[in-house]
Formats: sequence, structure tokens, C-alpha cells
Amino acid sequence: MSIITQAIANADREARYLSRGELNTIGHFFGDGQERLRIASILTNNVESIIEKGSQRFWQRCAVTPSNSGNSTFQASCLRDQGWFIRLISYAVVVGDIDPLQASGVRGAKEMYRSLEIPLRNVAECMRCLKEVTLELLSLEDAAEVAPYFDYLIQGLMP
Amino acid sequence: MQDAITTLINSSDVQGKYLDESSLENLQSYFRSGDLRARAAMSISASTSTIVTKTVAKALLYTDITGPGGNMYTCRRYAACIRDMEYFLRYATYAMLAGDPSILDERVLNGLKETYNSLGVPVGATVRSVQAMKDVVNEMLGADAGREMGVYFDHICSGLS
Repeated sequence: MSIITQAIANADREARYLSRGELNTIGHFFGDGQERLRIASILTNNVESIIEKGSQRFWQRCAVTPSNSGNSTFQASCLRDQGWFIRLISYAVVVGDIDPLQASGVRGAKEMYRSLEIPLRNVAECMRCLKEVTLELLSLEDAAEVAPYFDYLIQGLMP
Repeated sequence: MQDAITTLINSSDVQGKYLDESSLENLQSYFRSGDLRARAAMSISASTSTIVTKTVAKALLYTDITGPGGNMYTCRRYAACIRDMEYFLRYATYAMLAGDPSILDERVLNGLKETYNSLGVPVGATVRSVQAMKDVVNEMLGADAGREMGVYFDHICSGLS
């Protein structure tokens, strides 16, 4: 859900039109839209270098982990998942809500990694590394927009 | 319920794609039209009863439907009709704000035709009056906002016919 569908759902529950206040909030959301799209494009255009730097940092911190064990399948899956998480974060930035991240990234993620026998502590650390290298890439303001989504993701993956 | 943003995100997510150039352009134009949409919603909400009155006058009032034997005859049925007109207007306004018709499918059109048929409500007259409402709103809001609302009035009509 975006702030727009949320406001509509609230209004519909009371069978009324949106109030001036709600429309103003949506108006701001529309106004900031270009900025959110710009930030999402930065993530999209830099995803390869984010993953490369992020995984290097991750393997330095967590040397003993399946993706660093010399098994190329494990390594490829780890890099693929990192790309997925960055993608979901770029969606969350665009819609201005954790919803896409929650629906496709966090819900069930712990159970999945547990059953794959990948240590959750390491997955969370990997996300922390991605967060660091991503924020280094962004201006202070843009970083403030993106950071909460990483925090949500890290929280959601903590054992 | 979806809006222009969540629809694009969902379809990209299913394909595992980042939002591509064309999606970004769509979103940009949606965001640019935000001011228009919010202002249109405000004008409509301030004049719903006028819109419904004009719509009924335009499409229904002077036809057989309001006379004995017609489907708007007796005030009870007349009242039910204007209530439904108000629903159509409100949900079309929601959909226009969202830039997406899914709310109409989920909350208005789902089962509506079957309901009308079983109640004996004439679908043809309903479609005609939704078209009349489209014209009334178009006159009131001007061409740009009118065109945007028109998309969702047409969606209601195609869902009914």
C-alpha cells in the first residue's frame, strides 16, 4: 500500500471523500515523487558496484559463511539475493513505504534462510554491509531517505 | 487495492526487474499530475449532490423510468438510484486519485451486474447515466481533470455491459 491507497481505504471505511488534510498529505507525496524516483534510479544504476563492495566487506567481516566457502553456487545465490534486496529497497523508496520490502523480502525470509542452513546473523551482517556501501554512495539527504528501509530489513532478518 | 505506483512495482517484482525507463516515465507523469488529481477530488467532494442532481436530470428524470412501471418509480427506488450514483462518483474519484481502476473492480463492479440483474435494475439506463455523469463532471472540472475522471466512468460502464 502507498500513502494514497491507505488514505483511500480509510476514507472508504467511512464512506466519505478524502478530507482536505488527507489530500494535502497526498499532494506532498506527489510533490516529492520526482525525488524518490531519482534516488531509486541511483540505486538501480549502481546495484552492481553496491553488491561488489558490499559482499567484499561482508566476507571480510564474516569470513566463515557458506557464500565464502569456495562453493560457487552458494556464492552466486548470495550475490543474487543481495540484488533482490536492493531491488526491493528501490521499490520501497519509490512508493515511500516498507510494504514491498515486507511483502516480498522480509515475510518468511528468516524461515527460508534457516531451512537453507544459512546463519541469520550473517545474512543480517551482509545487509548491514550493503547499507553502509549504499549510504556512502548517497548524499546525506538521500541517505536519510534510504536508511530506514535498510534498518527495517536488518531488523526483519535478525535471528 | 492498487494505485499507479503499486501496480508498476508489483508487475516489476514478479519479473524480478528494477523499474525500467518506461515505468519511471509513467510514474513521473503520475506524480506530475498529482496536483490536478487532488484539486479535482476536492472540487468533486464539494459538489457531489449537484453532480448527481444534474446527472439524473440529464439522463433519467424525463424518461419513462421515473413514471409508474419504471424502475425509478416510487421514491424508494428513486432514492436507491441516486445512492448508487453517489457510490459511482465516490469510487470513480478514488480511482482517479489512485490512477488505477482496481478499486472499482474490487469494491464496485465485482458482482454488480449480477446484483442489478437479479433486482431488475436496467443496466442500459445505468450505463447511460454514468455516461451523463461523465459529461457533467467534464463540464464542471474542465477538460484535463474531466478526461482523467472519464477513464474511470468508462471503466464502470464497460464493467457493467
